[in-house]
Amino acid sequence: MSIIIISSDSYEKGEEIAHNAARALDYACLDRELLAVVAARYGIPQDRLEWALESSPSSWGRSARLQDRCLAYMQSTTLGELLKDNTVCHGLAAHLYVVGISHALRVRILAEPVELAREISGEGEVPPERAPRFIDRQRKLRQHWSLTHYQLDETDPSQYDLVISLSQIHTDEAIKIIAQTAGYRRFAPMTYSLRCIKDAELASRVRAGLLEAYPKVKVRAEGGTVIVETQGSRRNKLKKAAAIKEEVQAMEGVDYVEVHIKNGLFKRAP
Amino acid sequence: MAIITISRGSYSKGKEVAEKVAARLGYECISREVLLDASDRFNIPEVRLIRAIHDAPSILDRFSHGKQAFMAYIRYALACRAQKDNLVYHGLAGHVLLLGIPHVLKVRVIANLEDRVKSEMSREKISEEEARSLILRDDQERRKWTRSLYGLDPWDSALYDLVLHIHKLTVDDAVAFICEAAKLKQFESTPETRRKMDDLVTACEVKALLADEYMDVRVACEFGNVLIYTKSGGRLQHKLQESARKLGREIKGIHHVEVHPGVPTPAQAV
Repeated sequence: MSIIIISSDSYEKGEEIAHNAARALDYACLDRELLAVVAARYGIPQDRLEWALESSPSSWGRSARLQDRCLAYMQSTTLGELLKDNTVCHGLAAHLYVVGISHALRVRILAEPVELAREISGEGEVPPERAPRFIDRQRKLRQHWSLTHYQLDETDPSQYDLVISLSQIHTDEAIKIIAQTAGYRRFAPMTYSLRCIKDAELASRVRAGLLEAYPKVKVRAEGGTVIVETQGSRRNKLKKAAAIKEEVQAMEGVDYVEVHIKNGLFKRAP
Repeated sequence: MAIITISRGSYSKGKEVAEKVAARLGYECISREVLLDASDRFNIPEVRLIRAIHDAPSILDRFSHGKQAFMAYIRYALACRAQKDNLVYHGLAGHVLLLGIPHVLKVRVIANLEDRVKSEMSREKISEEEARSLILRDDQERRKWTRSLYGLDPWDSALYDLVLHIHKLTVDDAVAFICEAAKLKQFESTPETRRKMDDLVTACEVKALLADEYMDVRVACEFGNVLIYTKSGGRLQHKLQESARKLGREIKGIHHVEVHPGVPTPAQAV
């Protein structure tokens, strides 16, 4: 009775383990098929969403902003699905935004290095002595990606409850370990942890709704109360706050809205 | 019938995990014992060995290679203990020192920084700030140590078969995981893995006996055939050839010794 979030350096291995773990536990499996739903809901091409998940943002920041929006849409839809519980989630970067939810078991799977190098390079066979170079490059890119978008390093083991390397441990043994861990009582949902994920879902839904008009918006939710923080000039502060308030108030699950507009560094009115 | 190495940071509960695993499996549990063995065998005061494994090499050490000689003694002592099988080692760098031996289950136990700070505060009766700074400094020192001596980052999950985060998972959960993993077929010793271990012991012994005099030697052993690699010939090459031949006669189990100057060193060489 929990959520299992699987992150992996190899998409193929992560997918295989997620599907088999879901089958073993009789859970639903959430993977990149959800991107079709996100694309339809927010009117963004599916390949854009995949690009946001896979590609490292450019140093100039333009692609980072678009990626941020795509990821926010994905986050909102994924969290909505995770409210249903008994789900294994993979390939949607959920390990970076399902944080502080006690009934979520977060697992990192590390593929066998030579197999991983083959998957990354797309070249077929990769000599074992060249594998570390491919893997190291990929790891640095992922580190940059996760730090840019979520300010968390996805390669840091302390982000997970369990890290399993498939160099020696076989896939079926890894699935057994995950299924066994998910059965522990401390991964059972509790009133507080359910409230936390509900708050996270509401905040991400509100943020996804505001992001296009207000790219620097930050949202927190507690119960039905939503706190929105963004930047703006002193001159249009009140107007902006009222517009956000009106928009958010109309969203489902919102009881009360608080809007804080901070002065933008280069937009200060005389 | 396995060897388990448990890597841990300070206050990560790794020692408790190691002791419980050893008690449950009926294995020997060692850490400091390796230093005592090395101290006895090579007649070096234990305090110098402790200093060698605690502090990262200074600029001066990088020229004198003193630490590398001490590490060669410690590695030999650990390999001798591991040769007997059924062992839990929770001392420093077990995962690096026994690299390449297939029936070694490599585990890292980590804990939340906040939990570690609390433990340090209550044990040392110091302020939160002091405790945090001590722990961070200790972590940094250990990372620097492994990087400078072996070119590896101990925080890299790919070096381990399992990384267990003691937070939601308890010490008993970690013990259960490790005991189950140790029973897997791939961690059972076989005649082939025992032969590899014997070769490692021989290579470590040759390296330990040469390390004091010849700083840059690396040693590999396969089926009792010892290959000594050195960066370049130089004036010491003739002397090294002589020493190698002498060791070949003195050490039991060596069939043949060769010295290879200026040849790229294979990864399995110690």
